[in-house]
Amino acid sequence: MSFATSVVNNTPIFGKMIAVDKSTGLEDINAWPALMIMSSFIWLVVAGVLGLVLPATQIFQAGEDHYYTAMTLHAAALVFPFSVQLMMGVGLHRSGGCVGKAITGWLPAMTWLTMNLGSAILTVAVLMGLKVSLMVMFPLPLVGAQMGVWSMSSVIVGFTGIYLVLASMILFYPMLIIKMMFFGRKRAELVLSERSLNDPGMLGMILSAMVLLLTGLPLVVVGTTLLLALYHILPMSMAAWAADPVVFQYSFFFFAHNLMEAMAIMVASAIYATLPLYLADGSRKLFSDKMANLALWILLVTSITSGLHHFITFYPNQPAALSYWGSIMSWGTGIGAALSIFTVFATIWQHGLKPEVGLIAVLIGWGLYIFDGASAMVTSNIAWAYQLHGTMWQSGHTMTVVLSMAMMWMGILYHHYPVITGRKLDPALGRLYVRLVTVGSIGVASVMLMAGADGMPRRIADWHQEGWMLWGNLFMVFGLILGAAFLVYLYSLMKASEMSATMGRQLARA
Amino acid sequence: MLDSVFTGWGAFWAVIVMFAPFALMGIYIVRRKSVVDTGPTSLQPSEFAPIEGVWLTIAFIFFVIVNLAGLKFIPWAAAAPSSGVGPVQEIDFTAKSWAYDLSSRQIETGKPVRFSGRSSDTQHGFAVYHPDGRMLFTMLMMPNTTKPTSVVYTFKEPGTYKVRCLEYCGIAHHAMQDELTVVKSN
Ligand SMILES: [Cu+2]
Repeated sequence: MSFATSVVNNTPIFGKMIAVDKSTGLEDINAWPALMIMSSFIWLVVAGVLGLVLPATQIFQAGEDHYYTAMTLHAAALVFPFSVQLMMGVGLHRSGGCVGKAITGWLPAMTWLTMNLGSAILTVAVLMGLKVSLMVMFPLPLVGAQMGVWSMSSVIVGFTGIYLVLASMILFYPMLIIKMMFFGRKRAELVLSERSLNDPGMLGMILSAMVLLLTGLPLVVVGTTLLLALYHILPMSMAAWAADPVVFQYSFFFFAHNLMEAMAIMVASAIYATLPLYLADGSRKLFSDKMANLALWILLVTSITSGLHHFITFYPNQPAALSYWGSIMSWGTGIGAALSIFTVFATIWQHGLKPEVGLIAVLIGWGLYIFDGASAMVTSNIAWAYQLHGTMWQSGHTMTVVLSMAMMWMGILYHHYPVITGRKLDPALGRLYVRLVTVGSIGVASVMLMAGADGMPRRIADWHQEGWMLWGNLFMVFGLILGAAFLVYLYSLMKASEMSATMGRQLARA
Repeated sequence: MLDSVFTGWGAFWAVIVMFAPFALMGIYIVRRKSVVDTGPTSLQPSEFAPIEGVWLTIAFIFFVIVNLAGLKFIPWAAAAPSSGVGPVQEIDFTAKSWAYDLSSRQIETGKPVRFSGRSSDTQHGFAVYHPDGRMLFTMLMMPNTTKPTSVVYTFKEPGTYKVRCLEYCGIAHHAMQDELTVVKSN
């Protein structure tokens, strides 16, 4: 029994949700992914509770300290150890089964360890007083320490945590994907559903691993320099270039923006791989593999530099030319999306659909993702950016993109769950989850955009101005529905019914 | 008319305009092909191509029109030499946690104002709100830049305009506010 299996199978409550079935002979592609998925659900509960604490601090006027603590932790937990880790877990299992290679050894172990240890260390730093928001807002951590708002040790602890999380996403995980795709021995018994690298379902995995590795490198260099200086290994004078706010912010957003885009490319390719398995006529084919791949390439090429839209209101420090470029590239991603939409709709129209609950959950997440894409394009238009930047619109967009991708992976997990656990999810609970998550997610995404349209600033601990509490109360209502949806989902994992291992295997290969 | 499109709420309706056709089509297609008539379509694959062409062309033209229409509303376009904007009132300010140091808070309607801002510690914003609560524009300042961040804006109505920091800057960020007084020009 592998280390990962024993951790999952011995964890109370959450271990029950995705306990690894050792009789399948597939532990080598199941164990580490199961541990990542389980860990991501623990962080989902943390992020979800903190998400509700945000409006609660306003409704009960609990003070800015609690608000800014919850704000920093909620977003960090939602994005990295929940959403990214869920993607890593489900995506790794899926690619393992496609190429028949084991997910074992030190790379998956380091990916998991740095992600969760780093997130835990960052949590400690925030509880020590470091309230810098998800975006770090450099040089806020240092300025806050100079002003005595938080301690320098909380800054050092916090940067250590962030650094480990970045190492997981930028180094270990992409290296693991690349190793699996191009190196290592293929084991026939691990192949569940063979795919070549030209398959749209596989191309996205490679592209996104490359994007993470390449666009993350500048941030790794900047982060390493800063961390060495914080630990007094390098003199501060040698780290001054990295501590320049513009250098830090641009390398940060170049990665952070592309992290989201890489996750989008990955989940788009997962949809391309999953949808054909649920076609009514059993044809198992996309409308057009070429169009599907073209959409991924357009997304890749346009998204790399579209992150310049984060700095439109920094003019003239960001030259107008770069803002126009970022804006045009952002709308260019919309062409990739339009192509994707056509491929998905045409596939369904051509072959009919078996509306199983997992697939419907994926499609709802995908719909939300398109909704979010529209909001992202609009706010990348320069005229609109001046009216929306720094408002709740941006928080709504960030949360929605992360949430929609997580919802797609949660839907895709329906497909892979039996082969990992030897158990089957209850479709009735699944339908309840789909209903709740549809209302909750579209509701909370819409009201956050509306609040931004109404001029409500993001990240402020005082919503009792200009009637913004209306939006605050609506965040709470839809947040509670969304929370209920996730509870139903997690409950359905705990209550999944046993089935025979052979049936599980057949299902996975079906 | 375009004035109200390139506002916060205009942006929200633009999202709805883009999303609604997609959502309606999605619901129709999924319902039709999973419940009403799950059989394969009689459309030949070749017949999809023109539909795809039309779909992509509509999306492309829509994207181009929206962005061309928005050019006029870009604050720096209004300040371009060719725009014919007359003499400009200069307001310089420095943002420092958690207040603004402004060279002037008095503005007259109809006269373009150039706001030029710097930060002296961490990232800050400078968002100006109309008395009715709408946000008019925002600016992002980082410390150590060689140039100030700047915007040119012409106020049309007199009143008290609120200024808010929209870049999170620490535990008193929400209290980082100021006011501008706009009076009718004579
Ligand atoms: Cu500020």
